[in-house]
Amino acid sequence: MLALQLAVTGLQTGALYALTAVGFSLIFGSTRIFHFAHGATFAIAAYFFYFVFQAGFGTVPAILGASAGAIAFGLLIYWLVYVPVQRHEGSFFTVFVASFGVGIAVQNLLGMVFGRGFVTVNTSLSRSSEILPGLYVAPLAWVAIACAIVFLGALHLFLRHTHTGMALRALSDNPELVRIFGLSPQRISAIVFVIGSVLVVPAAIITSATTGLNPAIGHHVMLISLAASIVGGIGSVYGTLLAGLILGLAESMALLFVASQWTEAVTFAILFAFILIRPSGLLGRATAH
Amino acid sequence: MLAKSKIILTASILAATTASAEDYTVGALFPLSGANAIYGEIFMAGADLAVEHINADGMVSGTVSIAYEDSQALPQPAMVGMTKLVNVTGVPYTLSAFTGVSKAISTLGQRNQVVVVNGGGVGPDLAELGEYFWNVIPLANLEVRALVPYAVSELALPNVALVYVDDPLGQAMEAELEAVLPEVGGELVGSYSVPTTAQQFSGIAAQIRSSDADLVYIASYGNQQVQIVKQLRDNGVDAQFASYSGYTVNDALELPESEGMLVTSQSVDFGSDNPMTQRFVEGFREKYDQEPTAYNVNYYNATMLFGILAEALEADGTEVTGETLLAKRREMESFDLVGGTVSFQDNGTLLFPIEVKRIEGGATTTISSVSFE
Repeated sequence: MLALQLAVTGLQTGALYALTAVGFSLIFGSTRIFHFAHGATFAIAAYFFYFVFQAGFGTVPAILGASAGAIAFGLLIYWLVYVPVQRHEGSFFTVFVASFGVGIAVQNLLGMVFGRGFVTVNTSLSRSSEILPGLYVAPLAWVAIACAIVFLGALHLFLRHTHTGMALRALSDNPELVRIFGLSPQRISAIVFVIGSVLVVPAAIITSATTGLNPAIGHHVMLISLAASIVGGIGSVYGTLLAGLILGLAESMALLFVASQWTEAVTFAILFAFILIRPSGLLGRATAH
Repeated sequence: MLAKSKIILTASILAATTASAEDYTVGALFPLSGANAIYGEIFMAGADLAVEHINADGMVSGTVSIAYEDSQALPQPAMVGMTKLVNVTGVPYTLSAFTGVSKAISTLGQRNQVVVVNGGGVGPDLAELGEYFWNVIPLANLEVRALVPYAVSELALPNVALVYVDDPLGQAMEAELEAVLPEVGGELVGSYSVPTTAQQFSGIAAQIRSSDADLVYIASYGNQQVQIVKQLRDNGVDAQFASYSGYTVNDALELPESEGMLVTSQSVDFGSDNPMTQRFVEGFREKYDQEPTAYNVNYYNATMLFGILAEALEADGTEVTGETLLAKRREMESFDLVGGTVSFQDNGTLLFPIEVKRIEGGATTTISSVSFE
């Protein structure tokens, strides 16, 4: 029963990892911008939800507030940071440092506004109940899995069956060709930032009720997103989805075999294994040198 | 000739005035950013109030100020900060917090004869870091020795599971529980260490449920300890929870899942007639509009201790250095601080009685007090 319990827990964690990491992977895969501040988007969405919810406006306005915060931040950082840096032919590293700096600034800003301590959204949905002898599952676990299916399914449909989705995929393959066809890479990139930012919202909201928040939470989110993106294959949205689920399950199931302090290390052991054995990741395209 | 004499006289008076009005800078290595920054704010509140009182009373000829460095509650940034305090700022006396941080910087303090005073870390081995390392907080071995007999004998909770952060504090707590539990008829039925960065504990909750523990002891700090309590409760662990003084911060006390938890902390009688205690309590309420905690007391005491020692050294005409501060502390033996008159043990640690408390409605209620010799 312990194995089943850990599998269910791992699935919930993996669903949240997948939602978060796919947003990062989509942005990086399409725009080649190393959006380190993706963790900050997560933190902003979570704190906006917390603020609106605690103010007594209810769940739906809180979700809308979190989404608005995430989208606004995604667009602002794209237009005010990445576009100017890239206009001056900023290198990959310059963009990364700029993004890293924004992430630190957001962390400190959240600390100043909401305090540096632990906050959590109190809801009975985070309380587990025993559905089978020894198997405890919280309603939010089902919500997390359902959100992953709905959001990632919608993303799949969007990428495969809409003109904008196809343009977005084309952008990741050849930005120059996109320009030749009369499309604006900047406009498409802005759409990518909106979608990538929206994808972290459900994970951020569920996290605010299950594990709780602190201003530094973005760093952990970013580490997991990065690991999932590499394991899944750089730029591969579907690979990242799969990797997020695998990492969540592995982190939880590892408790069956190793002491608890090693569970986080399992994530990075998997990462190193992929870097050594299959650098292109699960579904990434192999690169020739 | 007369004019020249006047100039020399004026210069001499100016020089004498400057020499006698000595400004002192005390160092402080607190977490000012990161997941444990909340502690930095608590520690600073006590230390800043003490500086205000020292300067208002004119305890030293000049003024006392504090140079804060951000330790992030991690040894590596703390070493960078301590190196700056010792080599650039040139402080003779530094406030420290957190077991891992304190152990890391203690070597620099010892080597450079800079006094390091800890008011927040409670790892038992902090009592063994040399003559320049002092503790104004009772260490966790005493907290464990106060709580465990009460839980096992009075509450009949013999089977204990431990969730501890994988750092010197957590490791020391595990060793202490392993030593104390058999003495009182208890047993450590499960021991789960977590990395300092871990945020997911639902898997550990499943393991604890399988261990049939009566009592879950949580030895972590900052946001992580609150996350552990919340996630264990959310994931069906209904055993009695207990923790140490690190849990007596507002974030943790106000968490609904903390209701009914047992915690320990040093005993401070805020209603005491002691003038310094009264002044501290009134000053704290006025300045911060909240009730003080033991951590506020510790860093007030740690800073006030510098003021007392520096005042005594100036009265002797002795330069204030780490070496002379240590000698003066040994010479004076006892000090009037918040909580009453206290004395250091030979290992540089202050002794306070330990209280076992229960969290009720976001505050603590004392249910037992234990004194140690």
